[in-house]
Amino acid sequence: MPDLLTWFSEPTRRRPLLRLLVAAQVLYVLGVAGAGYATAAFGAHIVLTTAPVDPHDLLYGDFVRLRYSISEVPLELWRAAAPPRRRQGVFVLLAPGPDSTSTAVGVYAAAPRAAAGQVVLRGWVTEVYRHALGLRFNLERYYVPASSALRLEKAGRQHPLRVRVSIAPWGQARIAGVEEELAKTPEPSR
Amino acid sequence: MSRKFLETEGPAWVADGLISEEQRLKLLARYPPEASAGGLLPVLGSVLVGLSGLSLVAANWQALPEALRLALLLGSLLAAYAAGAYFLRRGNPDLGHGLIGLGLLLFGASIVLTSQLYQLVGYDASGLLAWVVAGVALSYVYGSRLLVLLTVLIGAAVQTYCVEALGSFSYATGVLVAAGLGYYWWRRPDVVGSTVLAAGLLWQAGLLIIVLHAKITWFFVPAMAVYAAGDWQANRAGGRALQGPPLAAAYLFMFGLATFGETDTYANVLRPPLLSYLAALGAVLAVSVTGKRMRGRLASLPDWLLLLPGFYLPGGLPLAVATLVVLYAHAGSVLARADRDQDAEQLTVGAVLFVAATAVAYFKLTWAFLDKSLFFLLGGSLLLGLSWYLRRRNARRMGDSVVSTAEEQPSRR
Repeated sequence: MPDLLTWFSEPTRRRPLLRLLVAAQVLYVLGVAGAGYATAAFGAHIVLTTAPVDPHDLLYGDFVRLRYSISEVPLELWRAAAPPRRRQGVFVLLAPGPDSTSTAVGVYAAAPRAAAGQVVLRGWVTEVYRHALGLRFNLERYYVPASSALRLEKAGRQHPLRVRVSIAPWGQARIAGVEEELAKTPEPSR
Repeated sequence: MSRKFLETEGPAWVADGLISEEQRLKLLARYPPEASAGGLLPVLGSVLVGLSGLSLVAANWQALPEALRLALLLGSLLAAYAAGAYFLRRGNPDLGHGLIGLGLLLFGASIVLTSQLYQLVGYDASGLLAWVVAGVALSYVYGSRLLVLLTVLIGAAVQTYCVEALGSFSYATGVLVAAGLGYYWWRRPDVVGSTVLAAGLLWQAGLLIIVLHAKITWFFVPAMAVYAAGDWQANRAGGRALQGPPLAAAYLFMFGLATFGETDTYANVLRPPLLSYLAALGAVLAVSVTGKRMRGRLASLPDWLLLLPGFYLPGGLPLAVATLVVLYAHAGSVLARADRDQDAEQLTVGAVLFVAATAVAYFKLTWAFLDKSLFFLLGGSLLLGLSWYLRRRNARRMGDSVVSTAEEQPSRR
């Protein structure tokens, strides 16, 4: 049985092996694209609110940093026996509220069963405070498309956003889109 | 032999009667002019080209429609690989391997940019793991040093992203690089590749220590495991090259201890539990010694002197004395070994280490109470005197060996 390295580097085998590897790479990239599309197409859609966003972020990169209303939850919502630890993976049970935005109703250490209308979102504990838990969902970056109205904002105006998130049946979540919520309060005087 | 050297010196040799004109022309014909780029130039070239393509497209990225973006990514990927294969068939291995390396970089870029396109942020590095797998596979297929170097860099980059952005260590990436490229190194050890592989593995080991919030001295257990692997390598140069980065790290740490040894203030980051640390390090030492004995390289055992855990000693005089003794002993062992092997390069290294140890000793002894200008004067003359003495001694040793081999020549004929 020839050893692995000799088998791989056999000169006559190089071209078919390269073709195989390149095909695998192309399929992988298409798979990532497919997963992204499928998550939006087949996922459960929820709406989350964010804290006001600073359009200055766009000057430094193509994305804005989002901070969700569910990024910090009261410690009462913790539903496991052991106390929460930093960097622990958790499952957040979300239920739709009156204005169709979702709020957290419980944070679990293992995947809970979701009732009708509820969804489970995967997250990680960032900080454990005395009365609250800081959470991260890896949805905190939004790559702003060129056509978005966010790009046209003048610096200095800060808006809370309504973010449409799509959660696939297999647990992957992605931002499906962002709606701007125009500021209803007058700008604070400086 | 460099052709340029031949061209410049040739006429002088003919004039001096060393060679005839005909011989000079024959020598010139034997070494035709060709541009030989080192193995690192294609690496830098393909990295820079990849980056330039990335930044150009990225600047206008968000304006392009989705399908066009995917098409651009996959198209450039296929083009790079196709071009690489074409040039390899044509007999330009450097350019061919460079283009395949570019294709590998474009694969990574495709994964990242496609994820961003669909607002997918990874939960772990599993998305980028495919990049490392592709790198290892391509290294195996082509046996190109450039691809091996690129894969080590990619592994280090993916691991850094995983630790920085996701806060966890990707054991899969570590195992892939260590086992996949380690096996490659075992079969085909070359000096540059060994050094880069060792540096890449040490980088990932450092990241592991950071993520585990372990005491930083635990770093030396995986570092010396890399060293021990070098001991088992049959190819001596490749094995020694792999050991370079771990030894450099151990030396710098010991040097830092000697110069700044205030271990009591840093005790909480420096002192792991004594028994477990000694047990782990001892196990690695056993593996290393067994390898050395098998390959007949026990002479390099004093390298391990640098790993003596002096940081368990209380700071101040005991630590200063202990570390200085170690530094001198190590420098002395390098000098003794170079003496025996008549290795001029090792003699220089040993001399430098010896002078460095003396510099530290002098610094620690006199900094506190000597007038500064007198300190520098005495220190400078001490170093100059020492280096002159060592150089003279080395030259005499090498001169003796040359004379003795020259004397042997007539008797051999």
